[in-house]
Amino acid sequence: MTDPISTLSPDTVARLLADTSPYISCDDCFARLDEYAERRARDPHHDDAAMAAHLRGCGACAEEADALLELLHTDAH
Amino acid sequence: MTTANRTETDPPPIQDEEAWVGDLTLAGYAGEVALRRLHEVLLRATRHQVWRLRDLLPGAGPGELEDLAQQAADEALISVLRQLPTFQGRSRFTTWAYKFGILQAGAEVRRHAWRHREITLPDTFVILDDSPSPSQVTEAAQLARAVESAITTALTPHQRRVALALLVNDVPIDVLAERLGTTRNALYKTLHDARTRLRAALLADGYLDTCTYRSST
Repeated sequence: MTDPISTLSPDTVARLLADTSPYISCDDCFARLDEYAERRARDPHHDDAAMAAHLRGCGACAEEADALLELLHTDAH
Repeated sequence: MTTANRTETDPPPIQDEEAWVGDLTLAGYAGEVALRRLHEVLLRATRHQVWRLRDLLPGAGPGELEDLAQQAADEALISVLRQLPTFQGRSRFTTWAYKFGILQAGAEVRRHAWRHREITLPDTFVILDDSPSPSQVTEAAQLARAVESAITTALTPHQRRVALALLVNDVPIDVLAERLGTTRNALYKTLHDARTRLRAALLADGYLDTCTYRSST
């Protein structure tokens, strides 16, 4: 069972107030994830504002992006 | 030969990928080989992701984790074949396939981790003592109180339930979507709209200026 809610930690406040614009959906993120991960693997400074905003705001997509990037790095070495 | 030291689970060389993708739609031996190869690639991704997320399944042994990886690879294979006509070559095919394995494995692990957990959808805060303590007069505590107030006043009941479940109670978005009979997309859009309202309310009350909060759910 999930816990009753009492107070908000600073981390939770930050997650609630995260700026997730420009908006893209989880499906949009997934559609672009392979290309994004390859570009990030080649250039860690590669920036995509919409992807970055989504990955800031969606823990599951961010975790999947990390996993894919890690796998690409493993393949490369 | 450059592939002499390759193991069975290594991704195929990039120069082979076009022929491999073509073979996936063939009947007969060539198609079977291509499918087997795709399954190996997917299994590489699902094992990787199941292993990364193993802490979510504290009681699971290697056998159970491997079963999850195999199951996720089987499901991902179906997804990849269904989506194959949409592959446009903007990345390596292996990378494109990997993401299906990672998605499926993550969903399987989270579903497994939450399968016996009840999910409640609180839409209010339980604040036991409303008087500020010394620690609560800090800037962070004041902001937290302002956010709590904005959650109560600025969000719709649905936005409030979704935001609290995902961001305060840490229910995974795909698990919540499944329980509510909705989609990850729909929940994320609700969350995005809720955040926009919260930020607007905090800006209006002078708690935010140009400050940008960068974190993940």
